[in-house]
Amino acid sequence: MSATTEFDPILLAVMANRLDGIVREMTNTLLRTGRSAILNTARDFSCSIVTADNRLLSAAEGLPIHIVGSQYLTEAMDELHPDARKGDAFLHNDPYHGNTHHADHTILVPVFCGGEHVFTAVAKAHQADCGNGQPTTYAAYAKDIYEEGALNFPCVRVQRDYEHVDDVIRMCRARIRVPDQWYGDYLATLGAARIGERRLEDLVARYGVEAVRSFCDAWFDYSERLMVRELRELPAGRLVGTGRHDPVPGLVPDGIPLRVEIAIDPGEAMVDVDLRDNIDCVPAGFNESRACAISSVIIGVFNQLPRPVPHNEGSFRRIRVHLRENCVAGIPLHPTCCSVATTNVADRLINITQSAFAGLGDGYGLAEGAVGSGPGFGVISGADARRGDASYINQVYFASSGGPGAPSEDGWLFYGIPVCAGLMYRDSIEVAEQKYPIVIDEVRLLPDSEGAGRFRGAPGSRVRFGPADRPMTVAYVIDGHHDPPRGVLGGGDAQPHDVVRRTADGAEHELPKVGAVQLVPGETVVSVTNGGGGYGPPSERDPERVRRDVEAGYVSPGRAAEVYGVAVLRRADGRCAVDAEATARLRHDDSGGAA
Amino acid sequence: MGGAVSPVPATGASYRIAVDTGGTFTDVVLAGGDGRLRFAKALTTPARMFDGCREALRVAGEELGLTVDELLAATDLFVYATTRATNAIIERTTAPTAFFTTEGFPDVLALREGGKMEPFNFAIPYPDPYVPRRLTFEIGGRIDAQGAERRPLDEDAVRRATEAARRAGVEAIGVCLLWSIAAPAHELRVRELVHEAWPDVAVTLSHELNPTIREYRRASSTVIDASLKPLMQEHLNAIGDDLAARGFAGELVVVTSVGGCLHVGEVAERPLHSVGSGPAMGPLGARRYAEEDLGAGDLIVCDAGGTSFDVSLIEGGVVKTTRETWLGPRFMGHITGLSSVEVTSIGAGGGSIAWIDAGGLLRVGPQSAGAVPGPACYGRGGEAATVTDAAVALGYFDPAYFLGGRMTLDPEAARAAVRRAVGEPLGLSEERAAWAILAIANEAMIAAIREITVNQGVDPRECALVAGGGAGGLNAAVLARELGCATVLVPKAAGTLSACGAQFADVVAEVSVSRYLTTEDFELAAARTVLDGIDERLAAFAARLPGDMGDRAARSYAVEARYPYQVWELEVPVERDRIVSGEPLDWLAERFHDAHERTFAVREPGQVVELQYWKGRLTAPLDAPRLGAAGPADGEPAAPAARDCYFEETGVVATPCYGPAALAPGLTIEGPAILEEPITTVVVPPGCRATVTPLGSFAIDVTGAGR
Repeated sequence: MSATTEFDPILLAVMANRLDGIVREMTNTLLRTGRSAILNTARDFSCSIVTADNRLLSAAEGLPIHIVGSQYLTEAMDELHPDARKGDAFLHNDPYHGNTHHADHTILVPVFCGGEHVFTAVAKAHQADCGNGQPTTYAAYAKDIYEEGALNFPCVRVQRDYEHVDDVIRMCRARIRVPDQWYGDYLATLGAARIGERRLEDLVARYGVEAVRSFCDAWFDYSERLMVRELRELPAGRLVGTGRHDPVPGLVPDGIPLRVEIAIDPGEAMVDVDLRDNIDCVPAGFNESRACAISSVIIGVFNQLPRPVPHNEGSFRRIRVHLRENCVAGIPLHPTCCSVATTNVADRLINITQSAFAGLGDGYGLAEGAVGSGPGFGVISGADARRGDASYINQVYFASSGGPGAPSEDGWLFYGIPVCAGLMYRDSIEVAEQKYPIVIDEVRLLPDSEGAGRFRGAPGSRVRFGPADRPMTVAYVIDGHHDPPRGVLGGGDAQPHDVVRRTADGAEHELPKVGAVQLVPGETVVSVTNGGGGYGPPSERDPERVRRDVEAGYVSPGRAAEVYGVAVLRRADGRCAVDAEATARLRHDDSGGAA
Repeated sequence: MGGAVSPVPATGASYRIAVDTGGTFTDVVLAGGDGRLRFAKALTTPARMFDGCREALRVAGEELGLTVDELLAATDLFVYATTRATNAIIERTTAPTAFFTTEGFPDVLALREGGKMEPFNFAIPYPDPYVPRRLTFEIGGRIDAQGAERRPLDEDAVRRATEAARRAGVEAIGVCLLWSIAAPAHELRVRELVHEAWPDVAVTLSHELNPTIREYRRASSTVIDASLKPLMQEHLNAIGDDLAARGFAGELVVVTSVGGCLHVGEVAERPLHSVGSGPAMGPLGARRYAEEDLGAGDLIVCDAGGTSFDVSLIEGGVVKTTRETWLGPRFMGHITGLSSVEVTSIGAGGGSIAWIDAGGLLRVGPQSAGAVPGPACYGRGGEAATVTDAAVALGYFDPAYFLGGRMTLDPEAARAAVRRAVGEPLGLSEERAAWAILAIANEAMIAAIREITVNQGVDPRECALVAGGGAGGLNAAVLARELGCATVLVPKAAGTLSACGAQFADVVAEVSVSRYLTTEDFELAAARTVLDGIDERLAAFAARLPGDMGDRAARSYAVEARYPYQVWELEVPVERDRIVSGEPLDWLAERFHDAHERTFAVREPGQVVELQYWKGRLTAPLDAPRLGAAGPADGEPAAPAARDCYFEETGVVATPCYGPAALAPGLTIEGPAILEEPITTVVVPPGCRATVTPLGSFAIDVTGAGR
């Protein structure tokens, strides 16, 4: 940690800004040119820069669950392709060699300056389809890679001398549904990595290889110093967080119990997170990949730091993550399936980690956020009569679900799930209906769906949609039905996640919580999403905040009185007022005089 | 200001007045027949805007020996720019407004289009919707994507909502129903029903105001517009009445966000167009000076003030526009949804504060010292080291001649602040510390410029950089060098670039139609219908223009296109005649492939191109004033004084400082040098060469060529 002092402090700030700018430019390229909604709307991708010796340097604005792992991908490139040279690009989606899951196609472009490998530009993007046995990129049903059916690319060369290796392109086109869309997304991802290459070459030309290399060391040290400061301010302690992924009949009938052990040593400024005391891999797609297991708990740690710290090798040095092989939250061995590694168990691990920190006392940690990808975040597929029955498959983002309550603020309204944490965009109803033959009937925030608290979780929503004029399949993986997001330090739990099919006669029918439902015209699927958990006792919530919630329709007057102990009167014009006297009585009676 | 006084024009001479009423100051720029621009400033008078205008006009008229009434009587054109609408939104003084939405979708305005900065930060409060839920009313009935009616309009729901909105005390109603852009019948019927029950209430229909796909941005446009109607109609009527009462009989036009003007009646009907119009004018002033001073070329326009740095882009003579304009921060504010001049704005300026973070990294901003206490060198109790302090410590500002001598700076306070905040913690000399502050501030500006150029496929090395604003000349040459621009222009009117731009605005009307077509199975008849519809609306607009203005108007067309399944479009200019001729569209596809490769490094030859938005633009030129040459400096050019300045290349060096009297047109000055004008200071670093143009602007060659 002493190298920094030798590096010009001015140049340090200048080059750090410039590197973040490069990653932002890569990100913008992928966002603007991606074909599938999962890229151009859900932003389920990340761009990063890794040094030639495999240290993650910058991952600005990437999807949180992609935060760690690019360095494992470049390690595989080094190992498998010692002949890598300028003009090469590699396609890598192998979760047993450092990738998140098969649906994330990663393009690696080694950047050479004066014949020397200096950086690798990395762009990772979730595909609309990756050739799975079923039309979904989340193969929860698959007990191994063979049932999963995804095409596996263990870091294969996909460009040489800036020309496509057509063999690989043909393989993908032959096995991936919607091949044109895949090819467009491939181009978008490649474009992002190539933009990164151009800019990194400019950077090295401007400052020289030696200065750039010294900068990297100094930048890692700087990031580490910020992390050290954060950890020194935490109380020492051992925390154990537990939780459970919902049961899924036929796959994980008892759910997946999860345990996160955290040891905080402020003296050494180290955090140890141990995931080894978890069950073995399950015969389904829910297992974590190594990259996702590590990312999840690191997100959980970063989420509750009060001040921003750059996410790179330097700050990661201060977090040790302990994993074991063949563990559901650890290192999967081939042919274990980890098709759903980026969401369900990962979401739970983030929630468990961030809420465990609340064990340090009031002011620390976070509540749990909404989980599960119900039909409102599902994968729809079918045929479009308006386009000569051309087939379509894509993930949609209509729903809204609630973010967790925090020590100083309510949950974020359009949150998604912990692995993306509000980063994604939302589908326009009109754009979705133009692109796919569907009709959306309702997207509505639901009153009384939040986890109550001094700072409450955000409300969940109800979404209802169906096919326009041809049958349609909706694939989804719900979690948070049996075990909805929990509050912390006296905060309440949120509304459970649920789904039903509504037939043309208006009758509602139960649906499995994980599955693929086929709907015929006239039918709709109705999904109710989680809110976020609450932080602190609701009886301590500022009555003015409760009044605003009632006025906004997030909380009913009845719940305001019963749960929050605040009497809110609604006037004829819709405005609300707090009845101070009645509130004093309610809070006195309900909270034993605490208010 | 304005240089030497010209002779009073003969009787019958006509004037053109541009007024910019900002939150604090009202600027007047007056153009007469001699092409000389005259500037005046007065305090803004929000209660009656015309009072502030009158005071500024009095000052401007005095120079010509004219009273305000004489001046107005001799004025043909009055160009009015105002931040009234923008400020009303920021200050939340717009009319209470109801939102009528399709049943099932009450949260369109709250959910927006998603997205968040800082996904790891859970202390950010979720922003409120523009219209609260209690004033949001769901209306039954549904149109589908093909424009067919799936469910009839629930007329009773409209009547109930109207009554409830009235009881709740609203003064305006915004109506945005799903797919009204495909079939407007339901929205039209809603207005009829509302007005049957309540004839006086202001109503905006989404398909009329902004017929764009994507319900959030259309709804946002609609409710913002409705909420502005009562206040802007009153405001604009008052200005018109006050002008008429003082004998003004010319044309009154109002500046819009797309960088043009509309007749006052048009803006009263669609006040959203005036939102954000202030920063839209700067590029017009920059473009006009650049044409004269540099000739043609692409321009990066920077406007640097005390607290913010705005960048815009002019490509092929056309000011770059965007449909992503937010009131407030992206994701957190409210999108206007209209096409507007694209301005990237960052909180960096002379007042930005330098600090060292916990990891030992030097940071500049976003905190600003503001005007009070201001930078340490103001001597008003400010202790923080700001960008202005750094410039003073480097010797770039003359402490005795700040703001043309209206203010004296305390250089020792500046140096002490720089030492204390940066030099001592980082172990840097005072000069190195000050230079570092400027370098870091520059980085944020470089990133902002790259965002609006490189990210959109424009190479800054092929652009000239035009620097406006009081702080623009300080670092323009350094920014240009880092970006690879060859030339910097600091226009004569740099200090009042926006107000000056209003003098060069044309009447501009834009019509945008959302109609999905593809190059694969191109429906020629549909395209003709779309373009005919655009032409019809442009023709109707032209017919309302006075005199022969409509006949002189030019039209241009563009389409926003994408590859299949992309959702973000690129704009490609098109020729209407080639589209409707039925000729194969290979040329259009090729233009798109080129634009895509330029911007995003890849192209997909042979791929179908989807055409989503069709745009027509009518430009009716208002006879812009000619720019007259700057007069010769009074008397003999004064010899430059010398001051110690620090540059990275040279260290501390005695640097010639040229006052206004020394800066005669044609003069060439080798850097290092400081050029001092009353409202701006221009730093010419070593290796750069500045030339004073015939208009009195400074053109700086930063390439080091010719030496």
